[in-house]
Amino acid sequence: MPRYAMLIDQRRCVGCMACIVACKNENKVPPGMYRTRVAETTAGIFPKLRMELRSELCNHCDHAPCVDACPTGASHKEADGSVQIDKSRCVGCKACMAACPYDARYVHPDGHVDKCSFCNHRTKVGKAPACVETCIGGSRIFGDLNDPNSEISRRLREHHVRVLLPEVGTKPKVFYINRFSTPGQEG
Amino acid sequence: METTILGLNSATFPHLHIWDWRVALYLFLGGLTAGAMVMSSVANLRKDKSSLKEKACCVRLPLIAPLLLAVGMFFLFLDLENKKNMFWFYMTLQPLSPMSWGSWALLAVYPVMILFGLSVLPEEFYPRLPFAFLKRLAATLQPQMRRLAAANFVMGILLGVYTGVLLSSYVARPLWNSALLPVLFLISALSSGAALAIIMAKQDKAKLFFTKVDIWLLFAEIFVLVGLFYGHYSSTEAHREAIMPFFDISSQHFPYAISIILLSIVLPGAIVLKFLEVRVDHEGPIVGRAKTQMITSAALVLVGALIIRFAIVYAGQLSSLSRYTSIY
Repeated sequence: MPRYAMLIDQRRCVGCMACIVACKNENKVPPGMYRTRVAETTAGIFPKLRMELRSELCNHCDHAPCVDACPTGASHKEADGSVQIDKSRCVGCKACMAACPYDARYVHPDGHVDKCSFCNHRTKVGKAPACVETCIGGSRIFGDLNDPNSEISRRLREHHVRVLLPEVGTKPKVFYINRFSTPGQEG
Repeated sequence: METTILGLNSATFPHLHIWDWRVALYLFLGGLTAGAMVMSSVANLRKDKSSLKEKACCVRLPLIAPLLLAVGMFFLFLDLENKKNMFWFYMTLQPLSPMSWGSWALLAVYPVMILFGLSVLPEEFYPRLPFAFLKRLAATLQPQMRRLAAANFVMGILLGVYTGVLLSSYVARPLWNSALLPVLFLISALSSGAALAIIMAKQDKAKLFFTKVDIWLLFAEIFVLVGLFYGHYSSTEAHREAIMPFFDISSQHFPYAISIILLSIVLPGAIVLKFLEVRVDHEGPIVGRAKTQMITSAALVLVGALIIRFAIVYAGQLSSLSRYTSIY
C-alpha cells in the first residue's frame, strides 16, 4: 500500500498560481474557496528584501487533529495515509475547521466541509494531483514514501526539509525545501 | 467568472469566522443550564431535617433547565451546515471527539434533568401536569429526590465543563487551547446558574443564599479570567498574540477591548451590589429597592457570562497557528 506525500521545493516556485487554478478546475472548487493557496511573505527593509512563496494545502497529517475532532467520522484517514472527507457523513459542524492548525478547510456551498484530497480520484488511476501536473517550475513533487526509489523519497533523503508547525506534533506529510540557493546546486 | 486568486478561505481571512453568535449563544445557554442544574440540586440537597414538602426549594429552576438547553441546542442546530446528516451524531461514537461525547452525553443529561425536575415538584403542582402518567411518575420519584439531585449535580458539572472543553481541545486556536478555559466556563456557568436562581426563587432565604454563593463564584471567575490572560501572556508568541485583541482599541479589535472594559465593570459591579445586599438584615420580605438591587446584580452576572462566551468564541477564531508557518 502506498503512503502518499508531497514535497514543495520553495526555491522553484515562481508564484504563478497555476496550481490554484488547476486545483479549482480539477475539483470544481466553488468561487471564493480554495483547496490550496500560495502564501507570499516578505521580510527585511527595502531594498534589502526577501520573499517567501509558500504553497499551502491540507498536510494529510499522520496525527490529524481534524480526524480526532470530527464527531461523525466523516473526516477519516485512508489506507494510503491521506485524510479524506466522507461527504455523506459530514454534518457541517465545522469542528474540523476549528481543529486544523493549517486552516486548510472551508465549507462547501453544498453543506459539507471540503479540502485538498491529494486528488485521490487521480491517484487511484496512477495520475499525479492536478497541482503537481501543472506546476511549471517543478516545485511540487508527489509520490509514495513507501517506495524508496520514488522521486519524493530520493529528494527527502538528499535535502534538509521542514514541515509546517512541527511543534504541534501533527506529523504532516507535506514537506518543504526552503534553503534558498540556486536550483540544481542543492546541498 | 472568478477573476481573483487569493487562496484565502474564511478561516484564513480574519473577519470571516468558523462559528458565530449561534454557537456563542449555545455555549451561554448550555452553561446556564449547567448552572441551573447544579444550583437547583444544591438548593434541594441542603435541608435534611425538614419534610419532603419543605425540602422542595426552587421548584421552577429544574423545570426550566431542559427548556434552556433545548433552546441552546436549537441554536447549535441552526449552525450546522448540513442539517439532514444530523443523525450521524448517533450512528457512531468518536472517542477523541469532544463533540461526539457531548452529543451522547445529552442522552444521559436530559433524562436525569427531567426526572429530577419531577421529583422536586410539590404535590400541589401535580394537577398542573398534563398527563396522568407524569403525576404517577412524579409521586413515585419524590422519595428518590436526593439521589436524583446528586445525579443532577454531577451532570450539571459535566455539562458546564464540557462547554469549555469543546473549545479548549483545539490546538489550532491558541486563545481556546488552555486548561483554564473549561474551569472559567464552569465557574461562569455556576455563577449564571446562581443568578438565575436568585431571579426565579420565590423564597427570600433562597435568594439570599444564592447571593452569598454568587459572591464567591464571581471572585473565582475574575481570578480565573485574569489567570487565563496571564497564562497566555507568559506562554508562546501565538498565545500572547491571541489575547492582544482584548487590549487593542483600534477599529479592528474594538469590540474585544469593549468586552474587557464591560467585564471589568459588570463583574465587580455585581459583587459590590451583592455585598450591599448581604450586609443588610433582611428581617421582613425582600421588596422594593432591595429586590431591584438583587435582580440587577443577578442580571449583571448573566450579562457578564454572555459577554465572556461571545468574546471568547469570536476572539478565539482570530487566533490561529497558521500565521506562524513562515520561515521569516
